[in-house]
Amino acid sequence: MFKVRQNEPEYAFLADKTSQELNRYGLSIETVENSSDLRDESLNINGDEAVGEHPNRYKQHGFFFNADNCIGCHACETACSEKNDVPSHLAFRSVGFVEGGSYPAYKRLNLSIACNHCDDPVCLKGCPTRAYTKFAEYGAVLQDPDICFGCGYCTWVCPYNAPQLDPVKGEVSKCNMCVDRLEVGLKPACVSACLGKALDFGVIENIPEGHEQAKTEIPGFPDADITHPNIRFEQSKALQREMTRSDAMPIKYHRDDAQGKFVSAVDEKHGDKKQWHWKKLLLSHESSHTIFTLTTQAVMGAFMMLMLGGWFNIAVVQTILQSSAKLPLFAVMIALISIGLFKLNMHLGKPHRFYRGFNNLRHSPVSREIAGVSGFFTGLLGVGFLMFCAQQWPTVTWLNPVAQGLAGLTVISGLVGLYYMYKLYRIPARPYWNHWQTASAFIGTFLSLGALIITSVATPFAVDTQTLIKAAATVIALGLITEAIGHVFHGRDLNAKGDEGAASHYIQRTQFGYPWMIRNGLLIVNIIAALIISIKGLEGSLGMLIALTLSASILFSAVISRSMFYAIVIPTTMPGAFFWKNQGFVEHARDVGLADMPQMGVEHERHHAFDWDELLQTVKETLGK
Amino acid sequence: MLFGRQKKNPIKINDHGVVDWKYATCGYCSTGCAIEVGLNAEGKPVTSRGVADADVNRGKLCLKGLSEHRLFDSAGRGTQPLMRDEIHQPFAVTSWDSALDKTYAEINRIQAKYGRDSVAIISTGQMLTEEFYTLGKLTRGLIGTNNYDGNTTLCMASAVSGYKRSFGSDGPPGCYEDFEHTDCLMAWGSNLPEQHPIIYWRMKEAQAKRGFPLVVIDPRVTMLAQNADIHLPITPGTDVVLQNALMHVILDEGLEDKVYIKANTNGIEALSAEVKNYDPTTAAKICGIDEDTIRVVARLFAKAGAAMSIWTMGINQSTHGSDGVVGINNLSLITGNIGKPGGTSLSITGQCNAMGTREWSSCSGLPNYRQLESAEDRAEIAEFWNVDEAFFPKKRGMFQTDIYRAIETGEIKGLWLIATNPLSSLPDTARIRKSMAKLEFVAVQDCYEDTESAQYAHVFLPAGTWAEKHGVMTNTERRVNLVQPLVAPPENAKPDLWIFNQMAKRFNSESKVNFPENADEIFLEMGGLSKGRLSDISGMTHEKILEHKGIQWPYTEAQSEQGIAPEKGGVRLYTKPATFRYEDGKAKLIPLPFIDNNEVPDEKFPFWLNTGRLVEHWHGRSKTGKVANNNKFSPIPFIEMNPDAAKELGLRAQDYVRLISRRSDAIVMVMLTQRVPKNMIFLPFHFHDCANRLTLGLLDPYSRQPAYKQSAVRIERCEDQQHAAQMSMEMRAF
Repeated sequence: MFKVRQNEPEYAFLADKTSQELNRYGLSIETVENSSDLRDESLNINGDEAVGEHPNRYKQHGFFFNADNCIGCHACETACSEKNDVPSHLAFRSVGFVEGGSYPAYKRLNLSIACNHCDDPVCLKGCPTRAYTKFAEYGAVLQDPDICFGCGYCTWVCPYNAPQLDPVKGEVSKCNMCVDRLEVGLKPACVSACLGKALDFGVIENIPEGHEQAKTEIPGFPDADITHPNIRFEQSKALQREMTRSDAMPIKYHRDDAQGKFVSAVDEKHGDKKQWHWKKLLLSHESSHTIFTLTTQAVMGAFMMLMLGGWFNIAVVQTILQSSAKLPLFAVMIALISIGLFKLNMHLGKPHRFYRGFNNLRHSPVSREIAGVSGFFTGLLGVGFLMFCAQQWPTVTWLNPVAQGLAGLTVISGLVGLYYMYKLYRIPARPYWNHWQTASAFIGTFLSLGALIITSVATPFAVDTQTLIKAAATVIALGLITEAIGHVFHGRDLNAKGDEGAASHYIQRTQFGYPWMIRNGLLIVNIIAALIISIKGLEGSLGMLIALTLSASILFSAVISRSMFYAIVIPTTMPGAFFWKNQGFVEHARDVGLADMPQMGVEHERHHAFDWDELLQTVKETLGK
Repeated sequence: MLFGRQKKNPIKINDHGVVDWKYATCGYCSTGCAIEVGLNAEGKPVTSRGVADADVNRGKLCLKGLSEHRLFDSAGRGTQPLMRDEIHQPFAVTSWDSALDKTYAEINRIQAKYGRDSVAIISTGQMLTEEFYTLGKLTRGLIGTNNYDGNTTLCMASAVSGYKRSFGSDGPPGCYEDFEHTDCLMAWGSNLPEQHPIIYWRMKEAQAKRGFPLVVIDPRVTMLAQNADIHLPITPGTDVVLQNALMHVILDEGLEDKVYIKANTNGIEALSAEVKNYDPTTAAKICGIDEDTIRVVARLFAKAGAAMSIWTMGINQSTHGSDGVVGINNLSLITGNIGKPGGTSLSITGQCNAMGTREWSSCSGLPNYRQLESAEDRAEIAEFWNVDEAFFPKKRGMFQTDIYRAIETGEIKGLWLIATNPLSSLPDTARIRKSMAKLEFVAVQDCYEDTESAQYAHVFLPAGTWAEKHGVMTNTERRVNLVQPLVAPPENAKPDLWIFNQMAKRFNSESKVNFPENADEIFLEMGGLSKGRLSDISGMTHEKILEHKGIQWPYTEAQSEQGIAPEKGGVRLYTKPATFRYEDGKAKLIPLPFIDNNEVPDEKFPFWLNTGRLVEHWHGRSKTGKVANNNKFSPIPFIEMNPDAAKELGLRAQDYVRLISRRSDAIVMVMLTQRVPKNMIFLPFHFHDCANRLTLGLLDPYSRQPAYKQSAVRIERCEDQQHAAQMSMEMRAF
């Protein structure tokens, strides 16, 4: 048990004498019934089997933050980092601020935020490895870095930037509510360290002595409806109508009198100059996602069009399947999706823990996506192999029906994978993604790149090339039009809403202005070209040249488009400060080399080796059981 | 409720493996927090926490204190004595004996050739009191240069001078407990939340209980200014005008405490006559605070049952620093607010042991506020130390700032620099660099060898830092508290006290002056010298200090012998009528005419350059710049700039700009905020080769403290941002 000093000051002790039955969302504050099996168990902290006896052990606890009082002194952050030995480039709790007004009628509002141990822990639901647990004890949401494989999905879904993905260790860690201190009746380290009378902690909905409000809204804090966070605020001093951020995020908070709260709005702080930023666009850490999603969707498109075309007796497809293009097509599809899967897996912080991706099928769209895609990949290998065998040994008659059956399962698995691949981006904390455009873009790729694969491989083997090319061009045009329609509505809807999504759109128009315009231009040209080809066909060496150019153009546009999808997203996350937790400074520090110095609090992104030893060790241990 | 796993995994939470907690007093600012450092089984310091029952901080620490155990093995520590003949040569590692012999020989040579005062000794507010006392004894008693000062001239000199002028002696009369009794708090150029977070917390706790009004005078909207009931965004350098106007209103409206004035002060007539010139209408045009507000604040302050003023560098670092302090004292005196609970004039000191050096270093005189100008004091100390009375100069020598001018003019040829880095901390560093290069001999004694001053050293003496050493420090509220050696200095580095004693052996060839080896013995010697004086510590011992987690002076031998335990807090000075330190026991009310000699913005240099601190950094960052969990909050130099001004110059946030003053330039990053007015920028001074390249630093006529906060600059966008980033980065490498 954590050692309590004999003379520990009174402010350090938990002080809840009473509590309410239900929280404001109607959920019981008592985490489990009296009779529950989850009661009276040890938290087993560092192997200590003692059971805490705190009377409120089975009540949901949460932080209380008086934003008027916070002076931004970082004592809470440092107390946390020192207690938990958090490396300097991460923080379980961090202090950012928003500010408003004109000198001297100026006001800065500091915000010290850690994990909110939510009623609806989207991190827990999203994590494919089940590294997260919500404990009946104090309602603490804890994460186990030893389970985590470092995909970072929790950092995408959390609106508060609570989970910290460590680029050095390749794993996530986060606030543990100081449950070791709670077990002995002490408030968390950050709360005990507060110097502004701003931060407090206790049973949720209880208002600490000397305070009056318990709000869930202050400017800069994301919409509480997303996760029902267990944090309550006091902020009663008058604020300016507009509160701005000091970090590079083009977001400000505007008071909406009708709603009686501050809402996010675009702050065009970087001007309206169009820029290139190719390097940032194409060589980011997220480029693995670009490669994975594009190849997977393209291969799924190609495979499903071939299979469904075969089953529904589409003449063009039948010809391909009967031509000698079939096996090369499978070879290409398998090669492409292998590259995608390899890139995806190696982008994990702990790539050797890949098998844990299936652990959370019950809740995580990532797990379901991984399952679907893995099923599809396995099926693709199987169908390809069976078809190869069927060709080698035409006399073995059962091979083909089995292949067809497996293909059916593969299609289903692929559709499941594709659906969850879309679903996992529908993240409320990421408005840029949380739009049906994500689906239209994926379907667009599925159709256009799928058809492109088929036609590129099959044309040399085809007898009636014109029919094939025209059909493929039609599908490509359809795919590109689907994508384009999505973009139009996406932009319109984001800008109408005016929040982080609109801010993403602003970044798209400015910092990535030229790539964006090129993508739009290419999309239009590609659609027109594909439509013309779908009617006129292509012939001769000029036709060949046009085909090659168009293919390159479609690919290029797809890569820009998908890269932007990852580079531009702006989460509804907490405001940072000017240096600390400012993505703008982090990028600058990485660019100019400041990040090479250990005292900067910035680390470079990096790739992590596949640790065979750990994998073998796990296999041994698992088999040993 | 969704729990995820039904079968819970065991939880892992970091455990420092502390087997022993050791007591020390924080070595950063002068709040004087008591720290416990946790040592693991290998004896390595692994964590820090506030001492729960220490009255100052009651278990709390600021972010610097929370990471203070990380200092011991931080980068750039000096580990071996170094020596070289010329400063362009590389250093060679040497033995302590040869390094000290060389220093001794060079000091002797220069003194013999150019006179006793041609060698200057500049120390600090960073060491322990026993070390200050020993260095003072060595310097005043044996080396005999009168050009001996500390870097406290850069921070608290104006407070010292102002206290002396008003009360007849240095010594802040108030204490932290005053927050719990005051009915009005005025903060002059003091930003507690950033500079003294724990004092802020004490203030905030008191305010939460009793809700007294807070008035903040600061040209910048600091967190304290923002939280104030009334914020007076004053024009830089015009505090004296505001003070005169406040007194004008108080005297004009008959709100003064006539009984107190009569019983305790001299000079009310002259003061009244002078402040007549500062009616609020006239004053408003100079200080930028409208006349109505001046009247409101004057009435609030005068009518409060108990009113206190605190101040820090906003007052001290000004050409009217000493006057500003006198002005605050005047306000307190005419309203009867000295020496009573909640009524005081309290300088919030800067360095951890600035008070210790004020009391005991002999920089400005002789130990325990004794003066060189007093024959009685000279005789007393000469006898106590067993030195010739005639060896003492009859008035104090140069201040640190003047010493540098004397180096420039060739008057001073040798320098022993101890735990301070003037190349970063003095104004107009280009001039300081030139001066340093002129010296025939420089010894630098520091715990870090990577400071710029070491670039000019012929001898480098590696010292211990903070809790590698043993001794006491005095905080803002005159509380003497203990530092204990938790670990040994790295490799061949030694505690400053050891270095002074070794040096003393060389100057003390006849062994007629006694230099005790241990800090506790020295402390007792000091106690003997303090008997019956204002700063009486004769009732204290190291053990007693540790037992009580710090004791406020005065605490006398008599109190101790009668078994009177030291008060937990709340000890004040001048609580009885007419007990000020002037002969007649009365304080002086001093008229303060205002002469505007600041460098003010003009067409060529249109911005005020205001400098100051950040909560995460300490001084020149030699410590905090290496602790990533401190440094990361502001890792490179930046300015706060008003967005409206930036717009006119075509600047965006995160742009690099070149600041240009009449002295030199500096490259900084732009942060946009309405915290500063359109014609002012705020530049944190912590970064070396930055703020003080620009500052003019005109000197206060009394305290010789530089006006760091009033210079003028212009701002140009760096055309090549990549190059600017590179330049800025190269200067941040350690």
